[in-house]
Amino acid sequence: MRLREYEAKQLFRESGIPTPEGKVIRYAEEIFANKIYPCTLKTQVLTGGRGKLGGIQFADDPNDAYKKAQDIFALEIKGDMPEAILVEPKVNIKREIYVSILIDRAYRGPIIMAAAEGGVEIESSDSIQIVPITGGNYSSYLGRKMATQLGLTGKDVLKFGNIVNRLWDVYTKNDCDLVEINPLIVDGDGNFVALDGKITINEDSLGRQPRFDGMLGAHLTDLGEREFKGKMCDLNIVELEGNIGILCNGAGLTMATMDLVFHHGGKPSNFLDVGGGANKDHVTRALDLVASDEEVKVLLVNILGGITDCVEVANALKHYKEIRPKANLVVRLVGNNEEAAQKIMNDAGITMTNVLDDAVKQAVAVAA
Amino acid sequence: MSVLINKDTKVIVQGITGGMGKTHTELMQAYGTNIVGGVTPGKGGQEVCGVPVFDSVSEAVEKTGANCSVIFVPPYLALDAALEAIDAGVPLISVITEGLPPQDAVKLHAAAEKKGVLVNGPNCPGIITPGECLIGIHPGSIYMPGRVGLISRSGTLTYEIGLGLKQAGIGLSTAVGIGGDPIIGIDQKISLKLFEEDPDTDIIILVGEIGGTAEEEAAEYIKTNIKKPVIGYIAGRTAPPGKRMGHAGAIISGGKGTAESKQKAFEAAGVQVAVTPSEIVELVKQVLPAMSV
Repeated sequence: MRLREYEAKQLFRESGIPTPEGKVIRYAEEIFANKIYPCTLKTQVLTGGRGKLGGIQFADDPNDAYKKAQDIFALEIKGDMPEAILVEPKVNIKREIYVSILIDRAYRGPIIMAAAEGGVEIESSDSIQIVPITGGNYSSYLGRKMATQLGLTGKDVLKFGNIVNRLWDVYTKNDCDLVEINPLIVDGDGNFVALDGKITINEDSLGRQPRFDGMLGAHLTDLGEREFKGKMCDLNIVELEGNIGILCNGAGLTMATMDLVFHHGGKPSNFLDVGGGANKDHVTRALDLVASDEEVKVLLVNILGGITDCVEVANALKHYKEIRPKANLVVRLVGNNEEAAQKIMNDAGITMTNVLDDAVKQAVAVAA
Repeated sequence: MSVLINKDTKVIVQGITGGMGKTHTELMQAYGTNIVGGVTPGKGGQEVCGVPVFDSVSEAVEKTGANCSVIFVPPYLALDAALEAIDAGVPLISVITEGLPPQDAVKLHAAAEKKGVLVNGPNCPGIITPGECLIGIHPGSIYMPGRVGLISRSGTLTYEIGLGLKQAGIGLSTAVGIGGDPIIGIDQKISLKLFEEDPDTDIIILVGEIGGTAEEEAAEYIKTNIKKPVIGYIAGRTAPPGKRMGHAGAIISGGKGTAESKQKAFEAAGVQVAVTPSEIVELVKQVLPAMSV
């Protein structure tokens, strides 16, 4: 779950990382309460690259700021409308640095990543420095080590190290996947200040982070309608562009089934992994979600029951067929409680296909 | 013979009194796994599924001689359960739990590596040595005993392949479900090494998927260390980039983790790559007779 800039900065401040004294406004008229000029107006969207698209403006007086605030509120950034504008006093920048903490699978743990120049194209920069936090055991010297790698000297080593200490606090306290300050600036007085920030909270950890309760829905971007709905009811769905709806259990089997549909000349409408141990209601929600795309001509259900009880799936399919007698279903249901499931399918008049390749070919033929 | 587990493995179940723990303890027992006890703090002294429940792992190990623990506890309690098993000196731990917070996973694996404990998972189906021992949630009847070693990041796809092989009359020495998380314990390289050393494994099947670079690293390892034939498969070759395909680890990001890169690495290491699950079975059928000559 990705936080907006002003939310990220709130967490920064709680852990002692300085940020500009900002104010969040939700209407352009609120700008008249702002007393500090020149100021910066920053659109609060979840997508990146807002600066280049006009989402960040500078203003010298209230009239200028009012006009720019109106413009920004009307400006869509990559399909995302601003939730608010963050108004901050314009700062004097002597230097920009990039610093982040994130989990890296190659290092099997968190790393500190930094670059001596901040900026938007940091991912492709070749000046990136890495200090691994081995086994998740952080100590202050790691932040100072990074400072040295960036070429900082004297008091700046301590100041930068201090920022990293606090960034680590943000990272662990909130179960983050990523905490990033970009840019971390050195202002005219030599202070280190987080001018912009990005935080991603790990979604598996939300259940033990009550402060983020109920926030997920308003913090999802780049998702299609079915993907958003799926996320809200715990279903892994990825939108694709074909007409064969796929419902499987287990990520690997779902990917393999999706690959097979392409292999046999069909086009899947989606990837949907119903997860392990799904009950009738969960499978019913999954079937409805897949079928909610009008392009779907046939539903390909491939379930290998290990932790999943085939009877639960069979009952959901029976229910689905009762409501939509004309729906095209290709069903393969193997494993845990298979015989009982077979009986339910027979009673419901749904034929089953035992071999995966046959099932896929059948679905491709129906959809063609 | 087999790798990691066999008929002599003594298994305890952490979380045995929970719904999932109890259900799968019964299934493991029905398969023939030697379950010697369970652990649920606060419920010591009870009996579940005909075995004693202990308050702590160390007590369970002391009283039963267990040398393997299967963890079926909820995600936010799994780190504590695993650390307890590591501390109690259990040499092999299988963490079935899905949704373990990544920051917990880091701590778990760091502690295990320090003590030299093998951790299977998390977010995995466990391990099965057909006909001898099952730990985890594999549907046992889908496999038959034999001489093929199977390593897989996916649970249900492992079942698919096990079933296809069985229908072709081919059995497995052991199937290791290594799990779909970005950070895991027993990985492809460790499993490859074990199968290479196992006198009763003739062929190794390596089932990978998009995301990360584990397959590329495994391919490098195969080049210099594995003499036995390896058959590879990559799930997700048609997955769109930037989307998480079910597993936390199955995502192509920044152009890394693609199926093409993994397939190339496999081919460069002399691994035969199957494009569909049924092709895996066909390739095994081709390799097997060549070996008996």
